Amino acid sequence: MRLPRGIRIERRLELPRRTSAALSAVFILLSFLVASAVFEMMGVNSVRTLSTVVSVFLSPPSLLQAVQRGLPIGLAALGLSIAFRMNFWNIGAEGQIYMGMFAATGMVLIHAYYGLIPEPLLMLSMVLAAFIVGGAYCLLPGFLRGRLDVNEILPTLMLNYVATLFVDFLVYGPWRDPQGFSFPLSIPFPQYARMDSFLGHSSYLGLLIMVVIAFLVYGLMQRTTLGFEMRVVGQNLEAARYAGISIFRTLLIGSFIAGGLAGIGGFTLVSGLIGRLRPRASPGYGYTAIIVAFLAGLNPWLIIPAAVFFGGLLVAGETIQAALNLPFAAVQVFQAIIFIMIIVAEFIKRYRVSIRI
Amino acid sequence: MESPEKLVEMRSITKRFPGVLANDSASFTLLRGEVHALLGENGAGKTTLMNILYGLYTPDAGEIFVRGRRVQIRGPKDAISLGIGMVHQQFRLIPTHTVAENIIVGARDVGFVLRFGRINERLSELIKYYGWSISPTSKVWQLTAGEKQQVEILKALYRGAEILILDEPTSVLTPQETVVLFQTLRKMASQGLGVVLISHKLDEVMAVSDRVTVMRRGRTIVTKPTRETNQRELAFLMVGRELSELEARPMAAGGKPVLEASGLQILDDKGLLAVKNISLRLFRGEILGVAGVSGNGQEELIEALVGLRKVRAGKILLDGVEMTNRPSADFIREGVAYIPAESLRYTAADMTVAENIILKSYRNRRFSKRIFINWKTVYDEAGKIIKDFNIVTPSPFSKAGNLSGGNIQRLVIARELNLQDNIKVIVAAYPSKGLDVASTEFVQRKLVEAREKGVGIILLSEDLEELFLLSDRIIVMYRGEIVGELPRQQFDLEKVGLMMTGVKGAEVKA
Amino acid sequence: MSLVAVEWIESVLIGAVQAGTVFLIASLGEIYAERSGVLNLGMEGMMIVGAAVSFIVTNALGHGYAILAVLLAGLLLGLAHSFLTVSLRLNQIVVGLAITILGLGLGGLLGNAAIRRGIILFLNPEAPERNLIVQEAEKLPDIPIPFLRDIPVLGGMFFRQNGLVYLSLILAIVMWFILFKTRFGLSLRSVGENPAMSDAMGINVFRIRYISMVVCGMLGALAGSYLFIGYQPFWVEGMTQGRGFIALALVILATWNPLRAILGAYLFGGVEALQFRLQVLGVAAQLPQFLLMLPYIVTIATLVLLSLESVRKRIGVPASLGKPYSRE
Repeated sequence: MRLPRGIRIERRLELPRRTSAALSAVFILLSFLVASAVFEMMGVNSVRTLSTVVSVFLSPPSLLQAVQRGLPIGLAALGLSIAFRMNFWNIGAEGQIYMGMFAATGMVLIHAYYGLIPEPLLMLSMVLAAFIVGGAYCLLPGFLRGRLDVNEILPTLMLNYVATLFVDFLVYGPWRDPQGFSFPLSIPFPQYARMDSFLGHSSYLGLLIMVVIAFLVYGLMQRTTLGFEMRVVGQNLEAARYAGISIFRTLLIGSFIAGGLAGIGGFTLVSGLIGRLRPRASPGYGYTAIIVAFLAGLNPWLIIPAAVFFGGLLVAGETIQAALNLPFAAVQVFQAIIFIMIIVAEFIKRYRVSIRI
Repeated sequence: MESPEKLVEMRSITKRFPGVLANDSASFTLLRGEVHALLGENGAGKTTLMNILYGLYTPDAGEIFVRGRRVQIRGPKDAISLGIGMVHQQFRLIPTHTVAENIIVGARDVGFVLRFGRINERLSELIKYYGWSISPTSKVWQLTAGEKQQVEILKALYRGAEILILDEPTSVLTPQETVVLFQTLRKMASQGLGVVLISHKLDEVMAVSDRVTVMRRGRTIVTKPTRETNQRELAFLMVGRELSELEARPMAAGGKPVLEASGLQILDDKGLLAVKNISLRLFRGEILGVAGVSGNGQEELIEALVGLRKVRAGKILLDGVEMTNRPSADFIREGVAYIPAESLRYTAADMTVAENIILKSYRNRRFSKRIFINWKTVYDEAGKIIKDFNIVTPSPFSKAGNLSGGNIQRLVIARELNLQDNIKVIVAAYPSKGLDVASTEFVQRKLVEAREKGVGIILLSEDLEELFLLSDRIIVMYRGEIVGELPRQQFDLEKVGLMMTGVKGAEVKA
Repeated sequence: MSLVAVEWIESVLIGAVQAGTVFLIASLGEIYAERSGVLNLGMEGMMIVGAAVSFIVTNALGHGYAILAVLLAGLLLGLAHSFLTVSLRLNQIVVGLAITILGLGLGGLLGNAAIRRGIILFLNPEAPERNLIVQEAEKLPDIPIPFLRDIPVLGGMFFRQNGLVYLSLILAIVMWFILFKTRFGLSLRSVGENPAMSDAMGINVFRIRYISMVVCGMLGALAGSYLFIGYQPFWVEGMTQGRGFIALALVILATWNPLRAILGAYLFGGVEALQFRLQVLGVAAQLPQFLLMLPYIVTIATLVLLSLESVRKRIGVPASLGKPYSRE
C-alpha cells in the first residue's frame, strides 16, 4: 500500500456486533451530511429536504406508505441476499420485478378475459406466477454462468432493459385497457386482486409476506443443506467442488429463488401500490434493493427495516418533488451517497487505519 | 591464490513465522565466481533464507552484507538494484506477453517508446551466448518449463544481476534440460557471477556446485567445498542421522483390493493426455506411495481417484463397485477421503471452523435430517474434533480464515478422517508440504493409525524419505505412466531416483 | 429501387459510425482500466454525468468549455472510483454500481430545469433566456474533410463527421500505440496481469491503476458528452440507456485491444442504427419495443459466443481483473 508515510492499513479481527452496528449508524448520519453538502452546492435547500425525509418516519400514514414502497425493494433484496451469498452478482432484480408484474397482471387478465382462475385463488396464483416467472427470468443468467461460465453481471443488467421494454410493449399493445382512452395502462385490477382487500392497507399484508419470506430465507440459508451449499459456493468454488457440491445445480436453484423473490416484489407493486400494469412502474426498485441488501449486511431480518427506510426515502422524494420542485433524482443521489458510505464503513470494519507521526 | 570477493554475507539471520522458527541464526556466504548449493530437506529453511536475501521477508534478527557493505533490503526492488536476482519455483512471468516484454518489464533503460527491433536483437545475442534457442518474440505460454526458466534467468541478468538465486530449478525440468541448465550455471560462474542453487537433491549438488551449505531445521550446519565431501556425508548432515533402517512390516493382507483402477486415461486442464494408461490396485491396510517428479500426471491421477476429474478411458472400482465418472459426492458417500495439498484452497475462509469441519460430511445422517442441518450436534461434535486434533482456535464459531497454516491442515485432516464412520480409502496428496516438524509428525501418525484400522491409503509425496517411512509399496510415475513398482523390502533411494527419470523398473534391476 | 436500397444501406453505415462512436470512446477508457486490473462498472454513471454536464455547459459557455468541464467531471469520478477500489481495496463491482447510481442521480439533478437554470446563470450571467429553458443544445458541427469527403460511402462514414468522431479514431490508434509499444503501456498491461511481480520490478502499481482509472473516467464522461452534443442533442433523463454497460461487453469482444474496439463499436452502433432506421421504415411498427431490445439481446448473445471454449482460449482476460492489490 503506497500511502503517505505514517499511515498504515492493517486487517483487523472480527468486530463485536454492537460496535459494527454503531459504525453503520454513524456512517448513515455522515451520508446525511454529505448529501446536504451536495444539495447545497446545487442550490437546493438541504435542511428542508432532509427534514422532509425525517418527517416521513414520524407520521403513521406516511410510514405506511414507506412500508408500501419498501415491499418490492425488500422482497427483491431478500432474493439478492441469497444470490450475493452465493457470489452470484445478480444486478437484474429490476428486470425480475418487471417480469413479476407481468406475470401477476397476466393472471388477472386470464381471470378477467377467460374466467379460468376462480376468484378466491386469484391472489395466490398471482403470487405464484410472479415467483415462477421472475425466477425463470433469473434462471437464464444462472444457467449461462453455470454451464458456459458467462459472468452474470452484464446479462442480468441487459435483461433489465429487455424486461422494461417487454412491459412497455404489453401496455402499449395487446394488454392496453380498451376503455382506457388509449393510455398505456392495463385494465384496473378488481378489488379481490388488490392487496389492500386484506387487512385494510396493502402494507399490512405486505409486511406479513415480507416477514414470512425473511423467515424462510433465514431458515433456508442457515438451517438447510441447500443453504449451506449455497454459502460454500459463494465462499470458494474450489472448496465446493471438492466437497462434492454440484455448483451448477446450486446456482440454478439459487438464482431461481433470488429472481422469484424479486418477482413477488413486482407482484406487490401492481397488486398493492398501483392496482394495474403501467409502463416504467418501477423507479429503480431493483437497484435500490442492491443497496438495501448491502446496508443490511445480507441479513434477512435487517433487510426489512432497511427496505422500509429506503421506501421512506422514496415517499420523501415524492413530497420533495411536489413541494420543492426538485427532481426525483435528488433521492437517487441521496441513495448513492448512503451506498458509498455503507461500503466505506465496511472498509473501516475490516481494516484498522492508524496514523503515526 | 588470492581469495575471491564476498558477494553476499548473511550473518545470524533469524526469522520466525507464527509457530515456526524458519531460520535460526543462519549464516551464509556467497563468493564471486562460484555455484553455491544450499542443501536441505523440505522445510529446512533454505527458501526462507534466500527470500530474505531477495527482500520478500525481513529478518527478525541478523545482518546482510552485499559486496562488503551492510544493507537493508526492504523489498525485491532493493534486491534488484543491489544486483540480486531470483528464479522462483513458481515462475513469475506473464504468459500472454512475449519473451522480450517479460524481460524488459519495469526496466528504466529502454526509453519511453519501446524499440522492439533493437531490444530483440540485444536479447537474441544474450540468448545465443548461453546456447539457448528461445525467440524474443514468442509468447511465454508457448514455451516449455525449461524455456520459461531461461526467460526468468534472462530477466535477472538483464537487470544486471551478479547474484543469482535459483529455487529448486530442476524440479520442473527434464534430465536433458537439467544438463543445459547446469552448463549455463557453470558459464555464469566463470563470468564472475555468484550463483545460489537451492536443492534437496544430492546428485545435483555434487554435479554442479563448487561449495555446499547444508541446512537443517532453520540452521546452517556446515559449509564445505563440494569436492571435499560426498553424497553419504551430505545425506547424513541433511537428515541429522544416518537414514534409519526401515522397520520391517508384514505385507498387507492381500485379498480383494479396496480400490482398483484399470486402463486409466486422464486429460489435464489444457486437454492434454496427462495419464496415459495406468492400472493399480490398493489393498486394505496398505499405504501405497506414489513417487515422481511433479507434473508427471500424479495430480490428475489422484483427482480422478477421488471423483474430482473425469477419466477419458478406463475403470475405477471401489470395493468392487464401479465408480467411474460418478460425481464426487458419491465418492464421499462411499468413504473415499481426500487430503489435498494447499489445504487453504479448500477451506471457506469466512465460514466457521465447525462449518468447515463438516464441509464434506454435512449430508451425513449424523449432521442432517432430510434437508435440515442439526447445528447443535455439529457444534458439539466439532468441539470434540477440535480437541482430538489439537486445532488451535478460540472456538468452533470462529472464522476458519483466522487459523494458521498448520491448523488449517489439521482441520482438513480432521474433516477427512471424520468423513463418515466407514472410511475405505484415503488419498493424500503432499499432506505434509509446508508444515513444520510437529505438524508433519502429526499427519504421518494419523495416516499410520488409519492404516492400522484397515483403511487403504494412497500417498503422493515429493519427499522420498516420507514415502519410504510410510509406504508398504511404492509406484513411480513418469510421463503419465507407471514405470516401476517396489515392495517395502526393496526400497532404495537410487533405484527410485532412476525410475523418476524414466528408467523402467526392469532395467533398474538389471 | 436499387438506388434507394444503396442509399439506405449507406445511411445505416453512416449511422453505425455515429452511434458507434459513443461505444468506441467509452470502451477505449474501459480497456485501459481493465488492462490495469480495475473493472469499471461505473461507466454508465460516468457517461450520464458527461451528457448532463455537456448539456449545461454548452448552453452556458459553448462547446469548448463543455468538453473541458466534461473531462474534469470524468476525472473526479475516476478519482473517486480509484480511491475506493485501489486505495481502500473495496469490491469493484459494488463500487462501480454505486458510481453508476450516483451518476444517474447527478445526471437527473443536473438535468432538472431549476437547477440547470441556476448553474447556467452562475457560469454565464449573460446567457440568453432561450438557453436556460431549452431541453437541447447546439450540436457539434460536422467538419467535412476536403477531397476525402467525396469518397462514396466511406466519405459519409468517416470524413463528414464532427470532431469527436475523428478524435475517437485518433485516440484508438494512439491508445493502441501507447498500450503495446511504450514502456508505460507495458507496465500497465503487466500490472493487470501480475501486480505483485510488477511491484517487484519497480512499477508503481497504485499510480498505474489511478492513471488508468482517471483516463477511463474522462473518456467515459466524454462518451456521454458525445452522445449528447455529438449525436442526440435532446435531453432525456437516463438517456444513456445502458450504453455504458454495453461498452463493457464490447471490451471483451475487442479482446482488450483499442484497434479491435473500433470494429466492435461500429458493429454495436450498426445494430442501433439499423434498429432506428427499421423503425422509420415502419418495419414491425406494432412492436417497436422488440427492435429496441435488439442491442441488449445482441450483447448477451455476444457474451455467450465469447464464452464458447474455442473462442475463450484465444482471448486473455487480464489475470488480476477485479482483484484489489495489497502488499501484505
